[in-house]
Amino acid sequence: MAATRRLQKELGDIRNSGLKSFRDIQVDETNILTWQGLIVPDNPPYNKGAFKIEINFPAEYPFKPPKINFKTKIYHPNIDEKGQVCLPIISAENWKPATKTDQVIQALVALVNEPEPEHPLRADLAEEYLKDKKKFTKNAEEFTKKHSEKRPTD
Amino acid sequence: MLQFLSFSKKKIGNSLSIYIKTNTGNTLSVDLDPTWDIKNVKELVAPQLGLDPGEVKIIFAGKELGDSITISECDLGQQSTLHAIKITKKPPPVSPLIEESDEGKPLCETLNDRSFSNDDTQPPSGTKVHFFVYCPTCKGLKNGKLRVRCHFCKSGAFTVHADPQNWTDVLEPKQITGLCENGAEFCADILDNREPTFADFYFKCSEHTSLGEDDEAVPLYLIRPNLKDVPCLACADVNDLVFVFPCEGGHVTCLDCFRQYCSTRLRERQFWQHPEFGYTLACPAGCPDSFIKEIHHFRLLSENQYVQYQRFATEEFVLRSGGVLCPQPGCGMGILADPECTKITCISGCGYVFCRLCLQGYHIGECHISEDVNSTNNADCSYNVDPARAAEARWDEASKVAIKVLTKPCPKCRTPTERDGGCMHMVCTRAGCEYHWCWVCQTAWTRDCMGSHWFG
Repeated sequence: MAATRRLQKELGDIRNSGLKSFRDIQVDETNILTWQGLIVPDNPPYNKGAFKIEINFPAEYPFKPPKINFKTKIYHPNIDEKGQVCLPIISAENWKPATKTDQVIQALVALVNEPEPEHPLRADLAEEYLKDKKKFTKNAEEFTKKHSEKRPTD
Repeated sequence: MLQFLSFSKKKIGNSLSIYIKTNTGNTLSVDLDPTWDIKNVKELVAPQLGLDPGEVKIIFAGKELGDSITISECDLGQQSTLHAIKITKKPPPVSPLIEESDEGKPLCETLNDRSFSNDDTQPPSGTKVHFFVYCPTCKGLKNGKLRVRCHFCKSGAFTVHADPQNWTDVLEPKQITGLCENGAEFCADILDNREPTFADFYFKCSEHTSLGEDDEAVPLYLIRPNLKDVPCLACADVNDLVFVFPCEGGHVTCLDCFRQYCSTRLRERQFWQHPEFGYTLACPAGCPDSFIKEIHHFRLLSENQYVQYQRFATEEFVLRSGGVLCPQPGCGMGILADPECTKITCISGCGYVFCRLCLQGYHIGECHISEDVNSTNNADCSYNVDPARAAEARWDEASKVAIKVLTKPCPKCRTPTERDGGCMHMVCTRAGCEYHWCWVCQTAWTRDCMGSHWFG
């Protein structure tokens, strides 16, 4: 199966690359189509924690895009309460089979670090972000401290 | 010579049964030993034509074969046809295109894969060229062989002035000139006027005994040997055989991934109805102008998938031509009707009479789209059955209900569409429609929709 072979290769490459912003990748040996990992953002207010995500690859991968879900609650205009995220690179219209998971993760980390309030999933947070950045940052920081995972020490 | 004739009557273990056609209209059937050379063949054939061996030339696949070539070098299969032509006194007009070194060698020996992969960086490696075909007899992807005939009279007694250099030379008509030795009047006229006649290239399957000169196969020219060890775009493996997409960059997938790409796109109805090529796909990397022209490449799909491919292609053609598909489950007949007419009868199919606008049974007056699919007007039911339960227990109805509950039709093309989570902004999944619409309003997606109910 193309999906399995390709994902094994990609998983190996990502683990070897030593990416700081995405780590602790856990994949069930019997099901390589589901990955879990930890997003470690650099920018405030999210640099006070880390966020667990799950990547689900369809059986038709790479001809259909993976889906990403946040398992950790996050105060972010582009990620909703259910953990759904709207990432253009993996939307059905934009997806290219040659796009690597590594690029998807980089795009996700970039979105977490720099919210895009013009294309929000949570209109209330987008409005707060645009109209009262100070308040947004304060709320997001508190939310991160309360709900996020512990950041790896190294 | 007698010795050779007696040889031919013995049953040689790996002998080839070959037909030899002459320009006098005779066909001889002979058994040839693959180790023989062309000189032996001439000595065998000439007496039967009443000629000396020196007066005969042997033509095969667009080349006059030299005396020292052996049968095994010629890419001949069982029941192939060679052409034996009497040499006329006048030498044929010599074309400057003939390369001395290649003269007398069959086409399979002088062509190689590198020249057909448009790779000029390396000299020809001397390996034989590989062609792949869809064989309608074997029903599948097979090795193929290139054959040549006269463009005008279709005779195989034809020699090319130059080898084809690339796929354009082979696939496009009138690229390579040659000499028709058939002596047909039409071609002779062209030669007298010193106009060139052209080679017509075609393919045969190498894997079954030839069923005659009309037994052709379709070249699957996008399938090539992976000479440059290009990894597959999808799985990143390096495979011996690859599918090279007709985009500028020539993106490559392995054949397994090509099949998966096609079946994934087919399931989602994402093939594209191209005005010239038909129902086809483009490069998966999204390159412009990269549609697959030879749709026989989709024969790589399984038999069932290919049937589905043909059905979708037909449906898409009907829809593009302004027709409708019969909405009756299990029917789906394509109907081309007067665009003004809303009462459609499935004449050549199930006979169902329906409304073009709502695809429900035909009615007078405005279309009434019932939201409550469980409501029944089954008043004269003689048993005391809960009408709602009776409605749910019907086989055909069950799928209709499922479709109605979970889907809404695209406001533009009426393709039932399921909303599988996410926002209310729908994009029609049917390739070619791609209409942006609102799940709530069931009309075009607007800024108002975005403002008031984008996410439910």
